[in-house]
Amino acid sequence: MSPLKLRITSDPANLAEVRQDVEKFCAACGFDEESSGQIVLCVNEALANVTRHAYRGATDRPVHLDAEFGDGLLQIAIRDWGRGGTPPDRLPPRDPLQPGGVGLVCLRKLMDRVEFTPQPDGMLLTMERRLGERRHG
Amino acid sequence: MDNSITGTDLIPAARKEGDALVLSIRGELDLHNSPTLRVDLMSLLNRAQPKRLMLDMAQVPYMDSSALAVLVEVLKRMLKSNGRVFLVGLQPRVQGLLEIARLVSIFTVCKDEQEALAM
Repeated sequence: MSPLKLRITSDPANLAEVRQDVEKFCAACGFDEESSGQIVLCVNEALANVTRHAYRGATDRPVHLDAEFGDGLLQIAIRDWGRGGTPPDRLPPRDPLQPGGVGLVCLRKLMDRVEFTPQPDGMLLTMERRLGERRHG
Repeated sequence: MDNSITGTDLIPAARKEGDALVLSIRGELDLHNSPTLRVDLMSLLNRAQPKRLMLDMAQVPYMDSSALAVLVEVLKRMLKSNGRVFLVGLQPRVQGLLEIARLVSIFTVCKDEQEALAM
């Protein structure tokens, strides 16, 4: 199966099209609708965090998304060239009525593996989700 | 008496029902349009000053955390004036996000408008 390669800017106007592309890719991999929706949500939240935090709201900066699937494992890499920090491995308890943090909660709960790897000029986020393993919020 | 209120692209239908403001929201909600959703909701709240706010989400197939933050801001504003917020007709992906964010029990979730209006 051919990998998915998206080269976009950090403009949130791109999110809807990216969601469609990732959803189609997940369906082609064999993920059911619920799992595809969870993966799409994680990609959306990761990209939104890139715009908000790594690029401080700038909408014209580069973002690369690469997804590949093999041996039942979906791997998604999101690369930015911004100034975002590495989130902690364990998230502190959050007050649901306080803003922020929901995106990272989604990643940690809905993906099997999430890794932020700082780069000399930005960040590489790698997420994995195995086919057939259901995750619950 | 005409209780309809001029809507917007994201909130095409808005009306008063007693002390309730009933709003239908439409479309996928994400970081791109959640700032507009916030402005629209706050403007309608300022005009109507409702005791109860019902958000019909049946035409919202997808929502991300930025839109969820708008709903939480609206909820906090309503709670300040002892108001209530009802979320109606949640689609599975929207419901899923609310569950992950542990907000299902903080909003009042109803299956349809009739159930919300009867509460």
